[in-house]
Amino acid sequence: MPRPALLLLFSLAAAVGGGVALETASRAQAQARNPLLNAPPLVRRPAPAWANRSWLNSDHPLTLSELKGRVVLLNFWVFTCYNCTNTVPSLVDFDHKYRDQGLTIIGVHTPEFPPYAGEHDRGNVQRALEKYGIEYPNAQDNDTRTWDLYGIRYWPSFVLIDKRGNIRYEGYGEFHLNDGSYQTWDGRIRELLAE
Amino acid sequence: MRATCLLLLAAAGLGCAGSGTAPGPLHLTAEAFGPDTRLVLEAAPHLKLNARLAPALELTDGSRLRFGAARRTADSAYFAEPPTAVLPGRHARVHGTLRASVCRDDEQVCRTVTVQL
Repeated sequence: MPRPALLLLFSLAAAVGGGVALETASRAQAQARNPLLNAPPLVRRPAPAWANRSWLNSDHPLTLSELKGRVVLLNFWVFTCYNCTNTVPSLVDFDHKYRDQGLTIIGVHTPEFPPYAGEHDRGNVQRALEKYGIEYPNAQDNDTRTWDLYGIRYWPSFVLIDKRGNIRYEGYGEFHLNDGSYQTWDGRIRELLAE
Repeated sequence: MRATCLLLLAAAGLGCAGSGTAPGPLHLTAEAFGPDTRLVLEAAPHLKLNARLAPALELTDGSRLRFGAARRTADSAYFAEPPTAVLPGRHARVHGTLRASVCRDDEQVCRTVTVQL
């Protein structure tokens, strides 16, 4: 069979940031290069109020104002993202350790693709929560409004909000139980809980 | 703003080539496949294509193609070979929106690439 290939060339360097990656880079090395994960505390600024209407693991839509007095960890994720689901065990661990001490973790489930991919479907999200043992509240962010509100760019991303409703830490990237990044986030949570 | 980069296909360069070099991190080849056209999406070595969210080509007529491949990485999260899709009929040009969820090897995040063809 003749194979006249038609070549379509994309110039996507801007989209992927350019540069050649080290294929042998370990997760720890990769996380060490994560500028936000290891950044010093940010200047405090008020967290914007989200307004998501569809929630799972919550009997009502949670608001930022009702969470004043609690430390809030927002996790922007989507169940089709391997990096996101790999991080879930750490978040479940934080939830078990710190919920009673004043931590509220909120998953902000933000689809990557249009609805045909199934990420917008509430039933699919519910099944993912069950599959990964997620008991903390999750908001469906199907219109990406909260994602945009917080200026998020990657899955997974994290925003840690103090008891007064100020953003104190932000970061992104997969981490695992008891690795260096886990310890960093654990320390940040404990710091804000102690305030 | 979502991690979406919208780029135009430069000059719709659909010249024929048996095996072209790909200066960009992704490239799409279209070749005759019986009476149809097979599209092959390849990623640069430092990029992985998310197999949990198969790349999609949204055609201008409203139809969609999803790319797939039999081989995946051991964790089943990424394609281990370039995913393909078959477009019915012979097409010299493809117009539409290509979406792919990609991960760089040196990062632990997913990001979306959207390309207008």
